[in-house]
Amino acid sequence: MAIAGDLRIFNFVDIFQVLLKDKKDGILVIEQDNNNNIAVYFKEGNIVYIREVKKVFYIYLDVDFEVVLKKEGVDKSELYNVLVARLPKLLSLKEGKFSFTSGFIKYPPDLKPLIPIEKLIMYLARQLTEEEVERKISDLNLVFEKTPNYENIAKKAYLVDHEKRILHAIDGKNKVADIINITKLDELTVKRTLYGFLACGIIQREKKKERKIGFDLTRNLLNKIISKIKGL
Amino acid sequence: MTEKKIKIVVAGPYAAGKTQFINTISEIETVKTEARTTKPGEKEKKDHTTVAMDFGRIKIDDEHTLYLFGTPGQSRFDFMWDILGKGMVGLVVLVDSTDPATFHEARRIINFFEARYPAPFVVGANKQDLKGAWSPEDIRTALDLGEEIKVIPLVATDKENVKRVLLELLEEISKYI
Repeated sequence: MAIAGDLRIFNFVDIFQVLLKDKKDGILVIEQDNNNNIAVYFKEGNIVYIREVKKVFYIYLDVDFEVVLKKEGVDKSELYNVLVARLPKLLSLKEGKFSFTSGFIKYPPDLKPLIPIEKLIMYLARQLTEEEVERKISDLNLVFEKTPNYENIAKKAYLVDHEKRILHAIDGKNKVADIINITKLDELTVKRTLYGFLACGIIQREKKKERKIGFDLTRNLLNKIISKIKGL
Repeated sequence: MTEKKIKIVVAGPYAAGKTQFINTISEIETVKTEARTTKPGEKEKKDHTTVAMDFGRIKIDDEHTLYLFGTPGQSRFDFMWDILGKGMVGLVVLVDSTDPATFHEARRIINFFEARYPAPFVVGANKQDLKGAWSPEDIRTALDLGEEIKVIPLVATDKENVKRVLLELLEEISKYI
């Protein structure tokens, strides 16, 4: 199954959210018009390496991560510094076609994530445009609740003070409009934060205990409908 | 005897396959309110688009008829969501699994209905037969949906697929009556 699209419409926060959710291993390729293609190596949903290549097929020549590092002349002990040096260029990209190839690369078992992806998601969420935040937080009546594991995730995300205040106001009852009132923060800041929280998995949509059915539907009638549909 | 109308709404982004979904299952030819597409970005995808609503019909018994109402996909017609949301028993949100650009619009539709008409709903991940289709699980994550919401793979031209989506929705509805 594919994970592919256009960065202008599906940004890094959205992509990282999908890769983080199932802790995916694989390679994210960003193809640009100028032949400056970037390969981002993911292990368990976290970025472990970034490299630039002129031709995309170069990326798929090596299935062993240690061979990739050897070819690039990078020692394992330098990985953090290399990553920190290359991240700004990657994160500044706003255009290009992306595609993620799941699996494919074999990582050494001792390779650990060096920068939590949750921290990068929140960093990027702080810069989202008004148009972008509307994609996720399109309604001031939305209600969110904290996820069971929110404290651990929030630690990895290195929340800043106003984000902690917003998190405190999320209780499964307050609407987005209420959170804006409670925190006295501007709407864009609150929406950016909620966007990041959703992508990291700090919060989720409120799980509704009751749902409205706009018709006096009896179980007998429902069974009739089910039988009818089955028989079509 | 006065006919009692039971309403299921089929919503989703532009070109997600809503009209096809209704066509595939309806007992009557789907009543369409279409206009020729003229906007850039839309006319490349299809010639005509729904501007008010489509509906299909399935007669349940002498008294009851199930109506499937398809909403227009473009957000400029979102006033129709309000009209159609009132009195619905359930909602099917269709997405084009091959086009992540439409996931944002699908999320916006879900946000709208969840905030105003929180009826039972399922998501249909359409066009699963096409190259480049995202998996239902990845679509669930992209739409910020929890495990409790069913995201069902389908091809809207396949009657059995459409029946499955409706039956899953009816199962969801049964939890609340």
